[in-house]
Amino acid sequence: MRERTNEQWLADLRRPNSDEALAALYDLLVRGLRAGLGSYGGGVDANAEDFAQESLIKITGNLDSFRGESLFTTWAQKIAMNVALTELKRRRWRDVSLQELFARREAANPGPADTQLTPEQLALQNTVLQELRCMVDEELTDRQREAVIAVLLEEMPISEVARRMGTNQNALYKLLHDARKKLKRRMEATGISSKEVLAVFDEG
Amino acid sequence: MLKRGDVVKLVRVLAETRETEIGCDECFEQLDSFAEVELSGLEARSVMPLVGDHLDRCADCHSTFEALRTAVHST
Repeated sequence: MRERTNEQWLADLRRPNSDEALAALYDLLVRGLRAGLGSYGGGVDANAEDFAQESLIKITGNLDSFRGESLFTTWAQKIAMNVALTELKRRRWRDVSLQELFARREAANPGPADTQLTPEQLALQNTVLQELRCMVDEELTDRQREAVIAVLLEEMPISEVARRMGTNQNALYKLLHDARKKLKRRMEATGISSKEVLAVFDEG
Repeated sequence: MLKRGDVVKLVRVLAETRETEIGCDECFEQLDSFAEVELSGLEARSVMPLVGDHLDRCADCHSTFEALRTAVHST
């Protein structure tokens, strides 16, 4: 592949006969997807060409948004990784509904306490646990609580939770940030220090 | 309902929460520059601290960054 400057990429992709530049970019994206997502599983190799094709459409449709702050090829690969990972996460999580996730948690017991704990340590843990439950119940809206459970505690991808909650990744991140700030302020106001909590749960 | 096993996870996340954080869109805007700074051998987190901070707390954006870094390094 011949080397191109950013300006040459933009010019070549914008000209009416852009086949050679498109083919070169497609080839780069396929190689990048295979290298970047090879360890992800879920059929990246088999789908690299489809992901590259989809990315190519997105890239050529958004050339005006390239600000020239990186190499054009890095910018293009960023879009390709995002296209592929969004789809791979969607496939991996497609059978999981938030309702089932929450129902499973409700059905589960609060989790076993460490049998090595003294009665005093166990009582302290239970007090902290109760206090944190109150904080989550009282400070957060229903949507914030759902997002905290799904993203922060169950570690479901934020993009997949956003899809199920009818919003987008950025908006859900902001909703979660607001939730975290509220809980942090409440913890500070209540006089609970994170160091003390971690020490109580023996993780400090 | 919060479970015993959630406590450490939640408290760690809260301890690392900052008043000012950038969102996923702003992180994505700068991810290509961040990857290039890091691949050049500079400390990207010092040059673009808000992006580094976001990557530390957002698993989705972090996975995109890791994939991008590997892809750019390999092509």
